[in-house]
Amino acid sequence: MKHWLDGGGHDLDGLVVEDLTVRFGGVLAVDGLSLASPLGMITGLIGPNGAGKSTTFGACSGFVRPAKGRIRCGGLDVTHLPPSQRAHAGIGRTFQRIELFDSLSVIENVALGLEARLAGSSPLTAVLSRRGQGSAVAAAAREALTRCGLSGIAQERAGVLSTGQRRLVEFARALAGGFRMLLLDEPSSGLDGNEVGHFGDLLRDVVRSDGLGVLIVEHDMSLIAEICDHVYVLDYGRLIFSGTPGEALTSDVVRAAYLGTSPVELSATPAPVGR
Amino acid sequence: MTVPATATPILELRGVVAGYGETTVLRGVSAEVAAGGVLAILGANGAGKSTLLRVASGVLRPSSGSVLVDGVDVTRRKPGSRVRLGLCHIPDPRGIFPSLTVRENLLLQAPRRGGAARVGPVLATFPRLEQRLGQAAGTLSGGEQQMLAVARAYVQRPRVVLLDEVSMGLAPNLVDEIFGFLRTLAEQGVALVIVEQFVHRALAMADRVLVLARGRVGLSAAAGVVGEAEIFGAYAGVAGTGVAGSNGNGVARAEPARGGARGARGARGSRR
Amino acid sequence: MRNFLPFIVVGVTAGSVYGLAGLGLVLTYRTSGVFNFAHGALATAGSYVFYDLWTRYHIPWPLAAAICVLGLGGLFGVGLERLSRRLAGAPAVVTVVATIGLLLGIEGTVAVHYGAETQLVKGFLPTSTFRLPGVNVGWDQAIVVLAGVAASAGLALMLARTRIGTAMRGVVDDPSLLEITGFDATAVRRAAWILGGGVAVLSGILIAPTIGLNPLLLSYLVVQAFAAAAVGRFRSLPATFGGGLLIGVVAALGQKFTSNFPVLLGLPASLPFLVLAVVLLGSRQATLPRAGMVRRPRLDRLTPLPAVPTAVLGALGLVVVLAIPSVMGARLPVYTSAAAYVIVFLSLGFLVKTAGQVSLCHAALVAVGAVAFSRLAAAGVPWPVALLCAGLVTVPVGALVSLPAIRLSGVYLALATFAFGLLMENLVYRTFLMFGSEGHRLAPRPDLPGLALSSDRGYYFLAVAIAGAVAVAIGLLQRSRLGRLLAALADSPTALVSFGASATTLLVLVFCCSAFFAGVAGGVLAAGNHAAGPAGLGSLQSLLWIAVLAISGNRLTSSAIVAAVLLAVVPSYLPEGWQNFQPVAFGVVAVVAALLAAKETDWVAAVKADLSRSPRRHSRSPGRARVTDPWRSPVASRQEAAP
Repeated sequence: MKHWLDGGGHDLDGLVVEDLTVRFGGVLAVDGLSLASPLGMITGLIGPNGAGKSTTFGACSGFVRPAKGRIRCGGLDVTHLPPSQRAHAGIGRTFQRIELFDSLSVIENVALGLEARLAGSSPLTAVLSRRGQGSAVAAAAREALTRCGLSGIAQERAGVLSTGQRRLVEFARALAGGFRMLLLDEPSSGLDGNEVGHFGDLLRDVVRSDGLGVLIVEHDMSLIAEICDHVYVLDYGRLIFSGTPGEALTSDVVRAAYLGTSPVELSATPAPVGR
Repeated sequence: MTVPATATPILELRGVVAGYGETTVLRGVSAEVAAGGVLAILGANGAGKSTLLRVASGVLRPSSGSVLVDGVDVTRRKPGSRVRLGLCHIPDPRGIFPSLTVRENLLLQAPRRGGAARVGPVLATFPRLEQRLGQAAGTLSGGEQQMLAVARAYVQRPRVVLLDEVSMGLAPNLVDEIFGFLRTLAEQGVALVIVEQFVHRALAMADRVLVLARGRVGLSAAAGVVGEAEIFGAYAGVAGTGVAGSNGNGVARAEPARGGARGARGARGSRR
Repeated sequence: MRNFLPFIVVGVTAGSVYGLAGLGLVLTYRTSGVFNFAHGALATAGSYVFYDLWTRYHIPWPLAAAICVLGLGGLFGVGLERLSRRLAGAPAVVTVVATIGLLLGIEGTVAVHYGAETQLVKGFLPTSTFRLPGVNVGWDQAIVVLAGVAASAGLALMLARTRIGTAMRGVVDDPSLLEITGFDATAVRRAAWILGGGVAVLSGILIAPTIGLNPLLLSYLVVQAFAAAAVGRFRSLPATFGGGLLIGVVAALGQKFTSNFPVLLGLPASLPFLVLAVVLLGSRQATLPRAGMVRRPRLDRLTPLPAVPTAVLGALGLVVVLAIPSVMGARLPVYTSAAAYVIVFLSLGFLVKTAGQVSLCHAALVAVGAVAFSRLAAAGVPWPVALLCAGLVTVPVGALVSLPAIRLSGVYLALATFAFGLLMENLVYRTFLMFGSEGHRLAPRPDLPGLALSSDRGYYFLAVAIAGAVAVAIGLLQRSRLGRLLAALADSPTALVSFGASATTLLVLVFCCSAFFAGVAGGVLAAGNHAAGPAGLGSLQSLLWIAVLAISGNRLTSSAIVAAVLLAVVPSYLPEGWQNFQPVAFGVVAVVAALLAAKETDWVAAVKADLSRSPRRHSRSPGRARVTDPWRSPVASRQEAAP
């Protein structure tokens, strides 16, 4: 796989969403959304309930079919790829409702982050690993565990851990996969304040040292403010704000969206789009 | 609001800790509402607003803390028996049975005796429902479904109504209609607990505001004294926008390292 | 046209009973989320008790029928509601095992008490006829149709018009909303189960004069009910009743048409299985109702035993295995077939325990292997090659079974595989493709110079060796990448797919692997008996196997050994007549095991919650004690609220 640093132009790096539109029945869930989540940065996607964040996230990870628009990762068009192919295109993810392999140990869970991709869809690779893959997987899993501070519970069964630990195992699994882009779906939900803080620090460390791109959907504005380099704010399926977290928190448009001022007033304010 | 909340609270939650499986959502929340009082519960998604209502109505049993109705502990009682005490919970999304007709939805909620008589008046309030009495509720538009949910609350003859995001995804004029109806309910002495995204609407109606942040009370104050800016600050947990008398509940103490940003969550409203 | 009318009358008569049975099934499935494989077994029990009351105790038949429908049906309903409440949220395989256990238990009890043979019974309804245009209709037929239609219409009316009926439809929509509407969802479900039980018993009483009293046939009324429910897509009551009628009529007409074509003889009787298979294969999971509630985590993989005890156990096992031929003497063939069953249960366990899939047609796969082996061996293929090829021939059949697994899961997959097993048994077993018209094929034992492998003693050791080799092979598979991927697939397909693996590939692979070993088992089993025959490989056996495996523990190898011993060895030690109790015993134990499994996940979850909560609780409690929270003190909050 091409290393992310080899990418040429800036827009080829990371995840780029262009003019995304998603309809559910007659409802326009996402309306002409464009955003970029470049490598080496943490990009936040926020907005009030029902704004279309989860739908956008689903379209990026392949569980929601867009009506219009393009999604590219590392210059590759992934718009119509199924979820499993997106992993091969360099997109890893976590889940809002934690999806761990509960009967397997923590280290097996984390190793599968890479091994599932190596197995792919061929029956041959699903049974046998090529030479060297085994040790590579083990090394990646150990490293991810160490970074997330999970080495001590490597042999525990994932099903018996606390929510905080389970969130970390999910993150470690995505980390072990060696993806260029990570999509994090409400990674702080269910955590207490301390755990959120630790997670934010960990995420920043990882992005700083590995240079991967992170797109994060989150409700905790304080976490967003602490870790994000850039945020996009959605409301009623449309982009209403794009800028730094600090700007977002002082923006009248964002405040109006969160506090539920009627959308009519909002559309009167031109949304500052672009970076 | 019209009725001062001085009487014994109809509904009271004390130190509720609750969650799903092993995820703790509420981490010690207390709240109360008296007859005719309107309590608005605000907060970001995942803060625990809906969970609080679920604990109140008995759908979810708290792992600690208690729920009192008229001062009587009902923590161990089933939802059905709380309904008979006058509790009514309109959950989100849509507190209706989609495969039942509008009429069946209303009658199911009505008390066995005399409930049917209340169907007429509520249909007068929501004439759109009257035209669709025989239609499956699932075929109604979102707004009509929400009207039906609220109308169901009325036929139950409740004393406390817990409303979860009734305005979600509705056009503003529909929201006006529903809130107008709620206001008349409150004026008749029904206590309301509103979980709401449209903060200004909630503020206009409520006499108390409770902002939840990550399962704890971030701000609790009389509705008249807090501005939208303060609420947004408590919501976002960032801008500690000068609410006096901060920190009664030890949240900040639990996380001294992150004082500036997160301490604001512990901020409580000043007294009037 | 005139020639068909009598067949249509017969078809409508049977069809209205199928439709009624289907209604009861759909009602209980939708309200409780538990798909009741024992629905037909309730009909069995009901009709036997009815005939007992009527013929032996001379209770007038209307009273006897009322006692059965209201009393027995109600009793079943109350019991089933309790069962389904305990199973709520458990993985589908657990609920399938529980209701299959119930089926085996009831069917077996009836067989033990009344005998397994068909008893022709006199009809309790008047048999005189009346004339409709073009056809004579028996009053009994007319009454059955009327009763079926009336009961169905009554059920529909009750659901549409009464408060409890509305609540039943409400509990399907949203049980927790029903609770906060002021109903007790459990009581509503209990009412639905009582109705379902009554309807099942009534359908048994109505159909018994037509098909006679036979525990298995009556219990398989459930398949007709399945098919009718499938036509209604497990959702619509009118379509379910219509589906029942359609199946009855088409099967009766088919009888008329196929009477001239011996090849198609089994076809009309197999129509329900065909309908079930076609509807399920034509459906995507998403379009079928999801009556199940929240799925609890599957936490049944135990940590491996420490190395030393494992080694000691292995050595002990080896000694036992070596000693058996000298000690057991004439019973040795029992142990030989037990070795073959170890392979069967290894292959089934790999599918069920490792990959979390369900297969209710495993006996059919074993049968295919047995036939393939005997045909290859008869054609002169060397013994070991024939055995391997028997496995390979079974692989495509396994791939075929994996097709529903790609589209369906849980109870629908169980139903689809069950239908496949029934089709194989009823349509294919007797044809030239498989056991042929003679009913069995010869299967030789290997003949190697110097090794007396064809003797009972020699073949015993060979079978044990093959079982050992299969155990090692499957153990290696489990520890391989495939094993990890399959365990992950069972836990969270969503996550696995998101990380780049293909669920389809894995499902096809696991069914193919399992089929290969099932085929090998078929060969070993056939050679042990010197012949491959359908005995012991019927569709009921597949159900029995799942139940036995469920009660044998969680570890793959040890559970396969325990299951094989329970199935093959234990009965030979039971006194004469006690063998009949085997299905009852398995059934009862399977229900208990399923309940424990459903509870165990609960228990583990509870421990988990406790473990994860307790440290935090401790760390928090002192803080709470010190800090005065005005919200917690009524006085302070009262003061605050005052203007």
